[in-house]
Amino acid sequence: MALLEVADLVVRFRTHDGTIHAVNGVSFALEEGETLGIVGESGCGKSVTSLAIMRLLPKPAGHIEGGSVRFDGQDLLACSEAEMREMRGRDMAMIFQDPMTSLNPVLTIEEQMLETIQAHRKVGKDEARARAVELLTMVGIAQPEDRLKAFPHQFSGGMRQRVMIAMALALAPKLLIADEPTTALDVTIQAQVLELLGRLTTEGGTAAILITHDLGVVAGMTQRINVMYAGFIVETAPTADLFAKPAHPYTVGLLHSIPRVDAPPGEELIPIEGTPPDQRRAPVGCPFAPRCAWRLPVCWEANPVLQPLRGGGPVVTTGPTATHRMACHNPPTREEAAAGRPLRDGFVVAPPPSAVAAEIEVVEP
Amino acid sequence: MSLAVPPPDGTPLVEVEGLKVYFPIKEGIILERHIGDVRAVDDVSFTLRRGETLGLVGESGCGKTTTGRAVMRLYDSTAGTIRFDGVDVTASKGEALRRMRRRMQMIFQDPYASLNPRMTVNGIVGEPLDVHGEGGSTAERRARVGELLATVGLDPEFGVRYPHEFSGGQRQRIGIARALALSPELIVADEPISALDVSIQAQILNLLQRLQDRLGLTYLFIAHDLSVVRHISDRIAVMYLGRIVEVAASRELNLRPLHPYAVALLSAVPIPDPAVESRRRRIILSGDVPSPVNPPSGCRFHTRCWLRDRMGNPERCVAEDPQLRVLSTGHEVACHFAEEVDGSAEQVQATGARTLGTAGSGDAAGSGGAV
Repeated sequence: MALLEVADLVVRFRTHDGTIHAVNGVSFALEEGETLGIVGESGCGKSVTSLAIMRLLPKPAGHIEGGSVRFDGQDLLACSEAEMREMRGRDMAMIFQDPMTSLNPVLTIEEQMLETIQAHRKVGKDEARARAVELLTMVGIAQPEDRLKAFPHQFSGGMRQRVMIAMALALAPKLLIADEPTTALDVTIQAQVLELLGRLTTEGGTAAILITHDLGVVAGMTQRINVMYAGFIVETAPTADLFAKPAHPYTVGLLHSIPRVDAPPGEELIPIEGTPPDQRRAPVGCPFAPRCAWRLPVCWEANPVLQPLRGGGPVVTTGPTATHRMACHNPPTREEAAAGRPLRDGFVVAPPPSAVAAEIEVVEP
Repeated sequence: MSLAVPPPDGTPLVEVEGLKVYFPIKEGIILERHIGDVRAVDDVSFTLRRGETLGLVGESGCGKTTTGRAVMRLYDSTAGTIRFDGVDVTASKGEALRRMRRRMQMIFQDPYASLNPRMTVNGIVGEPLDVHGEGGSTAERRARVGELLATVGLDPEFGVRYPHEFSGGQRQRIGIARALALSPELIVADEPISALDVSIQAQILNLLQRLQDRLGLTYLFIAHDLSVVRHISDRIAVMYLGRIVEVAASRELNLRPLHPYAVALLSAVPIPDPAVESRRRRIILSGDVPSPVNPPSGCRFHTRCWLRDRMGNPERCVAEDPQLRVLSTGHEVACHFAEEVDGSAEQVQATGARTLGTAGSGDAAGSGGAV
């Protein structure tokens, strides 16, 4: 059985402006020691998914309205708050984007690290401090004994993120969720932190979910990737497969809209025109249809489900041989994916049905 | 009134020489004592030719933004000269400066903070016209604003709306329309896409390129992301701790970086391709960037330099401040031992070229990219 199994997860936020459909039925699984990347833009539900797994959704707005999350054989959604608190830190840990706001500015690093360790382990102060020193050494902070006395503001951004990693791994959790761990950092510091994260999760056999908007980061760090858009997983595949054979129009669009440092001269970017949908509307049809260059009339009506690229054989959801699946009625061919646009003679995108035309922004490619 | 400016002819538009911008650190409340300086920009020289895009790239605190703002005269320089179209702007003030300013405009990073939330789009885009008395009659002004909005791909009808009604990408378009209002020659774009989502970034990059082709604009493009800078720039200047450490044509810099810092920076940029990633190796620089209050002696990069480490820590790096020197046409590097970098395993691995030895040759361009 997989370490983590998320099935048909639905998360909504009730706000004064209406209900936000943040996650709309997401299913995936993760084996022990596996590294999964979740890629998407702001508002695609990648962070909300992970907060829901940790049961850390902002209250009172955030609600898990359906589905199940099983971790290590336990139904997380049925756990009490006390049981969750036991598990967080010990079995599952999280690293956030901004290391400054995730550390308490008025406590020293020592106080914060000892608190984490002593909350879960019955150890004395000296023993906990020895563990803290060991952890800081592990993440490459020089003179750890002295640095324990420092406050977060006395650390640089990269060092703060190292402290966060040290704290997250303090109790050797089975699952580590890193939500944009390097987005706030400079690129050479990002390289340091990614290298550290990769080494420590491999050494410790920790399963990791890496959430990011940066396709470059997941390319080098993960074994498998879920691409999310507007609260849905639109494509999932082993990392090498996803980059070699992107199949969903959104994935194809993303890959064509980022400049590559190793691209041939005169490289042309093909942006995805338009903007992500307003998630106050309940999703009808394919969420990507208003921006899609491949859309058919059916795309406005029926939301495609995740299906294997090639039929036949059982669907494998985890591991290096996971089935490449995507949710699209009219997937681009290999040639079209390489070109970034439809190449069929006389193909015209389906116009929106009159019922929705006035309400949403639709892009004519 | 048209948007056209004189056609670019490759003559220098901006010439910066020995630019220094220091921010004083003071102590004491009543009797302020000057106890030191943050040397944000410390002796920087470069030339920006008409119609070209120069990318300024570096990490936070390297002085790239300060350089851009000093060129705009938003900061006063401590030393050095900045000539705009032959005229020294560091000395100009009053009416002369005001007239100069309309020829240079800026696009800012944060499209949420750089637009006044209480003004309509018409007000925001039209304000430069009012400031410089170019608005004309109400009808002319409205027509001009509509034309500007259409130029950046927005519906002129949107002019009556307020900034909060727009997405990040649309706001950045409004910021660009405002920058274009006075038909400037130079645009300083300070991280114009880093606050935007991936799919929107390409829209703005393409828009900036189209505008440059159409209007003959000259860009100083400031960003931390080497892949973005490479895409849009003709030439790239890499900055570290207040200095330019390497200048080269965009393609040359990416195929054959010669400063150890530029190599490390390039190696740290993740490439969205697992096949390329698997044959690259990052150079992990130890530690953080030193403080610009008290920069290291000699070469400012020597405290973190992988090359110096490998060469047995030569004394020269600590003792002697390397100046930019020309290694090949248009390729300048400030490193005593830049020749050692060329062809090194680090250089090859950073570029992601397929085999050793192809990094410097012309046909290597496609080997890393076309997969």
